[in-house]
Amino acid sequence: MRNRSWSLVLGASLGFGAWSLELLRRRVSKTVLILLTVLAGGASAAEVIPPKPAGYFNDYAGVVSKEKARIFNERLAQFERDTSSQVLVAVFRKMESESSIDDYTQRVAQAWGVGKKDRRNGAVLFVFIEDRKMFIQVGYGLEGTLPDATAFDITERQIKPLFKANDYEGGLATGIDLICKAIRGEYTGSGKTTLEGGRKSANGRGFLLFLVVVIILFIATRRGRRGGGYGYSGMGGPFIGGWSGGGSSSSSSSGGGFSGFSGGGGSFGGGGAGSSW
Amino acid sequence: MNKFVRGFGKALLLFLLPGLTGCGSYNRLVTLEQNVNKKWADVQSVYQRRADLIPNLVNTVAGAANFEKSTLTEVTNARASVGQVKLDPSKAPTDAAELEKFQQAQGQLSTALSRLLVVSENYPQLKATAAFQNLQVQLEGTENRISVERNNFNSAVQEYNTALEKFPTNMLNKMFGFKPRPFFNAAPGAVKAPDVKFDFNKATPAATP
Repeated sequence: MRNRSWSLVLGASLGFGAWSLELLRRRVSKTVLILLTVLAGGASAAEVIPPKPAGYFNDYAGVVSKEKARIFNERLAQFERDTSSQVLVAVFRKMESESSIDDYTQRVAQAWGVGKKDRRNGAVLFVFIEDRKMFIQVGYGLEGTLPDATAFDITERQIKPLFKANDYEGGLATGIDLICKAIRGEYTGSGKTTLEGGRKSANGRGFLLFLVVVIILFIATRRGRRGGGYGYSGMGGPFIGGWSGGGSSSSSSSGGGFSGFSGGGGSFGGGGAGSSW
Repeated sequence: MNKFVRGFGKALLLFLLPGLTGCGSYNRLVTLEQNVNKKWADVQSVYQRRADLIPNLVNTVAGAANFEKSTLTEVTNARASVGQVKLDPSKAPTDAAELEKFQQAQGQLSTALSRLLVVSENYPQLKATAAFQNLQVQLEGTENRISVERNNFNSAVQEYNTALEKFPTNMLNKMFGFKPRPFFNAAPGAVKAPDVKFDFNKATPAATP
């Protein structure tokens, strides 16, 4: 008799639990549905926004030699020092999204915060090797000097023929060249990248001195082991499905003269153009 | 101002503590509302940008030998009807029906434009001209910008509306007359409007199951 009443209670509470769970589930799915409809044209479920890159030139697909990649990276870092505009290159194997490339890359560039916050002067050349697609995302502040027609010209008429001939290095070199050429002169730089400039203002002199000592020690101990090493090398890793990379940027920025990238909080409004090859 | 004084007095009288926190909430609401209005202005400016492109596009296309006149008039008419739905560009609409009307007019223009671009596929000579290619790129860019600004507007509205419903802010909206704002909704064919990418070399995945 006692057993039976217990089981009754148990049954009832189980039933209630299931019911409330069901209610919760329904509610959650409803909010999800609302969220999805609210974020008009929004992201699809399978989308992956890759983490902020460590450098200016990021070859996640391994189509460019390390030496060339280092040169490209330094060139773009120097470009920020000179002009304060941040130009990034990101070469991926595949696009991890169901959206169109313009839509998706806008979200990525925005999430990375390429460009200075007040000037909004960032631009990113995205390349997806297996999809055979590329797109130049242009920040609000550069839409004047790098209008869609110019971005289209760069991708469609200058880079595309080289990519078609499997000359990725040449295509990317041309792309970097032309993008920088188009936007040079719009802004003047401070002689420092965001990462270099940020350290000083944020941490004061004492820490900077400490940092310099640490970096010198670090370089001194490293020099002996690896001649002209490339700090990015650790990032490549196995690339299966997801995005590799995302290691700490401070460690990579101090190794072997690699200039690390740090976003300045720039924003993107969907400017730019791309093409497929 | 008067409205503020009266409302604030009431808030203090009725709930001393919520009234104090309400001051911060009031300021926050004002900031959020301003943000919604700013994003609305951004939306308006990208739509305006598109409207400004159209005369140029129509002229370029009309120059092509015997281009379909019906598609051209459709675009021109759609642009005219967009011009008729005038909303205050500095203040986001509070009336959902108003926004809906605006959205419908813009949606029609989007449809007309995408049709024009599809039809232009039949005119290889036109497509080969630099003028047309430039226009097409600009149009695509404008569509991208529209979708971005609409999303930004929607998130601003979402933030504002959420703040409006939360305690203790929800008491303020009655006192000071804050109103929730309507969203752009994802009507099919309006948001991802003309997907004018001509990838005819590849078979579309939907067509080959």
